[in-house]
Amino acid sequence: MAIFNIKKRELECKIVYYGPGRSGKTTNMEYIYKTYKKQVVGEMVSVDTEGDRTLFFDFLPMGLGQIKGFDIKVQVYTVPGQVQYKSTRKLVLKGVDGVIFVADSLAVRREKNMLSLKDLQHNLKEYGINIVNIPLIMQHNKRDLTGQGVPVMTIEQMERDLNRQLKVPSFPASAIIGESVGATLKECLKLTLLSLKKQIKSG
Amino acid sequence: MGNFVLAGNITFLNLGDILQLLGSNASTGVLRITSKYAQDMGLIYFFNGNPVNASLGSLAGLDAVNSLFGWLDGEFEFIEEKVAGENIIKKSRMQIILDCLRMLDDGQIDKLGPVTFTKKSLHPLNKLPNQPIIRGPLIDYTYVVDEEEVHAGNKIVMEGKHGGWLWVILEGTAEIIRETPKGPLEILKIGEGAFIGSVASFLLLEGSVRSAAIIAVNNVLLGVLDSRRLSVDFLRMSDQFRSFSISLDRRLKQATNMAVDINLNNIKIEEFVSGKQVIAQGENVEGLFTITEGEAHIARNTENGYVPLASLYPGDFFGHVPFLDMGQEPHSASVFGSKDLKTSELDPDILGKEYNQLSYTFKSFIEHLANCILATSMLACEFGKNAVRKKPVL
Repeated sequence: MAIFNIKKRELECKIVYYGPGRSGKTTNMEYIYKTYKKQVVGEMVSVDTEGDRTLFFDFLPMGLGQIKGFDIKVQVYTVPGQVQYKSTRKLVLKGVDGVIFVADSLAVRREKNMLSLKDLQHNLKEYGINIVNIPLIMQHNKRDLTGQGVPVMTIEQMERDLNRQLKVPSFPASAIIGESVGATLKECLKLTLLSLKKQIKSG
Repeated sequence: MGNFVLAGNITFLNLGDILQLLGSNASTGVLRITSKYAQDMGLIYFFNGNPVNASLGSLAGLDAVNSLFGWLDGEFEFIEEKVAGENIIKKSRMQIILDCLRMLDDGQIDKLGPVTFTKKSLHPLNKLPNQPIIRGPLIDYTYVVDEEEVHAGNKIVMEGKHGGWLWVILEGTAEIIRETPKGPLEILKIGEGAFIGSVASFLLLEGSVRSAAIIAVNNVLLGVLDSRRLSVDFLRMSDQFRSFSISLDRRLKQATNMAVDINLNNIKIEEFVSGKQVIAQGENVEGLFTITEGEAHIARNTENGYVPLASLYPGDFFGHVPFLDMGQEPHSASVFGSKDLKTSELDPDILGKEYNQLSYTFKSFIEHLANCILATSMLACEFGKNAVRKKPVL
């Protein structure tokens, strides 16, 4: 549910990075913040939460055009997964327009990925959103660890685990070197705007 | 003086939401927040959508904003006007919001509202449910005829003794404790503004037996309430409202009994929910009913199955009470009726009107009963969870 800000002639929408702790949500956001600095409005807000960090910044993506003559402004968030951070999660997920799920390719994190995705579904439901209706992109992160001596899951296995039913666009990525970070966000923005345009038309 | 441009209740729009709203609107002015649970008014000054200063009692700047994030109940008004003075608060709006919400969830900001929870124990082995503390709004002091001090650890009320005194806690915290065969069981903690005593004490014939012990956790200052004046308030009520308030009082006792029984594993839930479902949990029911014959059982459907919350008998009401939240039916519990259940319908609007005309003290008393029922129901469900865990694996 994006907000039309008549005063500033901006359409504010919200993209949230979700995923298990240490899967690379922060790395994704930090990369975007650094690489697209010119399109970022203001500073990045960072709050240390137990075992995880909550990040936020405003983003004015270029080349996305306008909707009804309004510029598009994106609020980008990560959300702490720990159960106790209910208030933060509520604020972040309220009115979310698009979600990027960052999954961890490490084999030991397999269960954590699945639990986190289930948790996302549950939390979205609590705020009246069905996971199959919201623009969602899957990112299989830490591909750079393949062949480094640590057990890494194959893309096929990750797709089977996480994306078999959802069938959303997915990207193999290495957020640490910036690979596919921009592409993931771009795809999410594209889907989000399409969905918003649809909502505006039907609403 | 500027004009009100936005006003409402923070239970509907919380401070985080308000800050974002004023932020994206780039508003300049003063946000005023009041709560009946607080003596002081909170003020946050905005310039171009960013909080620049704040005050709450002796607190100023960011400390005041942090503290205001703990208010769970209250009213806000935003007044559009010029804001002078320097920017005491340097943090950005989102930084404030996200920091405060984290502190709130980490238990670093005290919560203020009718039912709050004691800080979570950091000890991993401590699996006890978080204990709620029930507070009430500030008291109308004209109803207080005397003050009494009870030292920490002393009993305010003994279980099983007769007594008709009514008190309100002016300072400190007390514990409500029930004696059980397994030893004393702590039910709830009550704090400032909470009432001690029951509506039944106004019924001269019924002589009231204290249903639980109340023990001072720290030094407690009690206000002895003017029972003559409260009796007059009670007698002025319509018959309907009198039975309603007595039934509410009974329901609290019922809920407490149930919680104790669940803790002792004395409940046969199959029998409890065997009747016909009159109201399904979560159903959008508008009606309010009095039982004329038969009985009704209230139970909440949880992950671990049904948890019994109360049994109701002729004279008791059930249904949707628009002006009170007891945390039971219709939103958070189902109602099961016995075969011979007969009811007559009440008009919630008439009751609601009468409720609004009650003296401030009596109204707070009724509200306190509802909050206690809500918290006790939550406790019963917690006990229910533990009971499931304790069941032997077959």
